[in-house]
Amino acid sequence: MQNQEGLQADGEVDSATSAPSTQFDDWANFADNDIMQQQSSIQAEEAEKIPFEPLSSLAAEYQSGSTILLEKIKVLSEQYAAIRRTRGDGNCFFRSFMFSYLEHILETQDRAEVDRIKANVEQCRKTLQSLGYTDFTFEDFFALFLEQMESVLQGNEDSISHDELILRSRDQSVSDYVVMFFRFVTSGEIQKRSEFFEPFIMGLTNATVEQFCKSSVEPMGEESDHVHITAISDALGVPIRVVYLDRSSCDTGGVSVNHHDFIPADSDLPSASGSKTISPFITLLYRPGHYDILYPK
Amino acid sequence: MIDFARVQKELQECSRDVEKSGIKVTPKSDGCLARLIGTIPGPSGTPYEDGTFQIEITLPDGYPFEPPKMHFATKVWHPNISSQSGAICLDILKDQWSPALTLKTALLSVQALLSAPQPDDPQDAVVAQQYLRDYQTFVGTARYWTETFAKTSSLGVEEKVQKLVEMGFPEAQARNALEAVGGDENLALEKLCSG
Repeated sequence: MQNQEGLQADGEVDSATSAPSTQFDDWANFADNDIMQQQSSIQAEEAEKIPFEPLSSLAAEYQSGSTILLEKIKVLSEQYAAIRRTRGDGNCFFRSFMFSYLEHILETQDRAEVDRIKANVEQCRKTLQSLGYTDFTFEDFFALFLEQMESVLQGNEDSISHDELILRSRDQSVSDYVVMFFRFVTSGEIQKRSEFFEPFIMGLTNATVEQFCKSSVEPMGEESDHVHITAISDALGVPIRVVYLDRSSCDTGGVSVNHHDFIPADSDLPSASGSKTISPFITLLYRPGHYDILYPK
Repeated sequence: MIDFARVQKELQECSRDVEKSGIKVTPKSDGCLARLIGTIPGPSGTPYEDGTFQIEITLPDGYPFEPPKMHFATKVWHPNISSQSGAICLDILKDQWSPALTLKTALLSVQALLSAPQPDDPQDAVVAQQYLRDYQTFVGTARYWTETFAKTSSLGVEEKVQKLVEMGFPEAQARNALEAVGGDENLALEKLCSG
């Protein structure tokens, strides 16, 4: 496991010990760095992909695969026109959510929604402060998200087009910041309502809800499940539909595609918008391990 | 690009409660914010008590999305820290890092690692084996290393520089060497001799 390459470059690291030991310089660190380097190059490759495709491309992917999946894709194509693929780096749920939400605002120019979510974002900021987070650890991420939201509203000097939104979403210096904003919001919400979330967190033996957030919500690349989605939907007051494409079949004979709507818990909405039924404008396609964006017909 | 504005804020925040935490982060002599020195007091009730440990910090380009690189500049005898290179085996410095963490919280975790060694996930196999098989010897060695390498208070910096100058090293070089090894005169001497 010793890595002989590049050790000279680290010469000063071990200047304190005698000469022969310089061979052992930092080799453990070096292996870690190698792994991290490889990881980031894979991520860079993945970053190039956010193509928008008709749903038929999904069918093509499974052409020689399971018939259940092909049947389900057929059912899906009755309702959905297209899929937008998100890079698969563990942040796919948050990236899908980000793009979908900003695209929705761009298309609807719904200023009331922007005002509503801003109030929720302020609430999230307070949550983090009351949990003891230092402002500077999260303020940049909050600011960047609010900036993106302003820029998809047209009529401002720095308004952006749909194409520009796609470019920004691919730009890690924007996209990663927004993902991190969502991770903060999610973590804050889970900790604020830890009693509610605790029973839903799987494998939480010998760990607290706070530890779960530190290890499975806040680090980049940690995948999202029901707990994360429920938390962010509640915190921001944004309903989300997740359509499940897996091999499960139902006994009634006909093939159907399951979906679950995450509807924000009303009690946590400071500006509850009356009694009108909320239907999600964000639809994500879940295949085990990955989320993409679905476009209804 | 390193987010230097954030690093700046982190340094301010850290210096604000240095009295309480005992944890210090300062830029290295060249003043570049990508290379820093962290200082942690050895936790009481451990063989590291009363020691002052210097940790060399290098910020990667992707900071705060990538973890800071840290290793001990002060020699330390601990199952999860290489006795040779000072490399630290700690999850938050690897895949469990998050931009929600800071240099200070990372150093606090390093300090916590000193209190709670994880010999089953060792960085230094020799130390880990000793920890598991002969705990008393481990404690003795760790304490001896603390006494030898992590106590800087015996002499002031000027006195140490003076001592090295008396041995025949140019003052500027002696000062640099002391700074590079975190003030330990023995290490500085080794550095001067090997360099």
